[in-house]
Amino acid sequence: MSISERQRFLDICHFKRTGDMCLLAPWLNDFWVEVPEVWMKAGAPAEFADSRKMREYFGFDHIRLMREIQTGLYMDARMDVLGMEYVYAIPPILPLYEPKILEQDEHTVTVFNAGGQTARVYKNDPQKMPMYLDQPVKDWATWKEYKKRLDPDTPERFPADWAGYAARMNAKDEPLLLNVGSFFGFLREWMGLEPLLYAFHDDPALIDDMMETLCHLELVCIDKAMDKVRVDGATFWEDMAFKTGPLISPKMFRRFMMPHYKKITELLRSRGVDVIFVDSDGNLNHLIPLWLESGVNFFWPLEVAAGNDAVHYRKTYGKDAILGGNIDKRVLMKSKELIREEVMSKVPFLLEQGGYFPSVDHFVPPDAPFENYLYLINTLREVGGLPPLQH
Amino acid sequence: MAWDSAAIADAVREGDDREAVSLVKSAIEEGVPPIEILETGLVPGIQQLGELFKDGEVFLPEVLIACRAMDRGVDELKPFLESSEMHKKGKVIIGTVEGDLHDIGKNIVRLMLECAGFDVVDLGVDVSPGKFVEAVKEHSPAIVAMSALLTITMTNMPEVLEALEKAGLRSQVRVMIGGAPITREYADQIGAEGFAEDCASAVGEAERLVKG
Repeated sequence: MSISERQRFLDICHFKRTGDMCLLAPWLNDFWVEVPEVWMKAGAPAEFADSRKMREYFGFDHIRLMREIQTGLYMDARMDVLGMEYVYAIPPILPLYEPKILEQDEHTVTVFNAGGQTARVYKNDPQKMPMYLDQPVKDWATWKEYKKRLDPDTPERFPADWAGYAARMNAKDEPLLLNVGSFFGFLREWMGLEPLLYAFHDDPALIDDMMETLCHLELVCIDKAMDKVRVDGATFWEDMAFKTGPLISPKMFRRFMMPHYKKITELLRSRGVDVIFVDSDGNLNHLIPLWLESGVNFFWPLEVAAGNDAVHYRKTYGKDAILGGNIDKRVLMKSKELIREEVMSKVPFLLEQGGYFPSVDHFVPPDAPFENYLYLINTLREVGGLPPLQH
Repeated sequence: MAWDSAAIADAVREGDDREAVSLVKSAIEEGVPPIEILETGLVPGIQQLGELFKDGEVFLPEVLIACRAMDRGVDELKPFLESSEMHKKGKVIIGTVEGDLHDIGKNIVRLMLECAGFDVVDLGVDVSPGKFVEAVKEHSPAIVAMSALLTITMTNMPEVLEALEKAGLRSQVRVMIGGAPITREYADQIGAEGFAEDCASAVGEAERLVKG
């Protein structure tokens, strides 16, 4: 008997369905913005210009992040930079700032973006990660101005035809995810990393106020969203670790972040949502137990280069942790032999255990050859007992 | 109050910049040689902090505030010290390689190296091989340190090594590299003598290179 895609997703998350090769997209199995163009130039099908068709080509399973509800990282802010498109992500502020170009030199353009940040981007490749020069929040005065944009009751935070939108979402046979924000990640976007890290020490009251504001925004919006839409999972975005560990101490996490996480995860669970995802790059060894204690239980991308080992995490946390990613993206640039070795070293075990969604450990970079990526997907399909893609 | 080098080290390690400055001023007034204040008070404090960071007992915010305490303590000593006394360990040129605008990791490494007594020339981000070569000619450093965040920009590191080789400067400097996608294997593969897993180990690696 076939089951709905939504039920399939939940069953995998709940370890009730093992051995199922579920390649979720977008997001888990996703690409840097430049990839389609690079691959098309290298002979990939022209249909890759349409991201939906590209996902269909690879046979991915759909998941829907309800980005139309402005509660989390808004990933599709766009700006024209001298004829090139600069796509970037910003926190859920409303209204947005008016983007503008400030200056340019031979290679770069300095822009003021819709998130209130000043950033330098490359003229010939605005998508390459920018250098941030200035952030909107510097102190209490700038924060008080900025926080006006975080009112949960701003009407534009939800789609104009909210009832109609909710009905359309509820009718979909795909897992629906609700953005539930970020604590560390958004604060870093607002202040910049170094000023933020100093502020944890120098002005803890400011950090508290920013996190309380975010928590309030999320709690109000979660309630409103879940009154109308069936939600299968919730997602945080943090990116709060680097290569060898977290950007703040576990003690700071407990002091500043955990109480807010708990309020949100308790609300979600009280309304039937127990799949709570966090996206954080870097080494998560110290963070996973803290997130689990906070009620967050799904971790991605588990970057191998940062020392994450999904097999170890599975053995350590058992069915408490849902895992995604952890296939080393660097092997894509090497050889098919290494791709197979990487997959076989972990995916069969993880799939058999359940609660695992395979993907490379972050978006696929443009230096990954199309042919190698196709080989990876077919190798994963082989592990899952699926026929190779017919292309 | 009697001069207490351990108290200065504690203040630095704890990131208490006011206490560090106050203790350094007192020591100067007591006639303690400035170089002794630096070498037995401030520097051990930051070294202890570096060890704690390596052991996972403190994290980046603690590193930043400790460096700030160290820096403010050193500011008090500057009028009494020769530059060579403050930067005894040698000169380092540091930069993020061409095509890469990331500077957070590089900045923290610069801060840690300065705190540890290196004289650091920061070339910034998006540094071309030619700029590295020019800087080596101008500053004659002991070490060239390069950072890259992206797999697509780390490949510019060997180009810097090649440019140094072509300019006849390669034998005059030791090269160390770091950044999210960088591994010891990659450093070995491209012929860089040094590799730092993170900002704390960058100091130890730089010390190893200047000794070696």
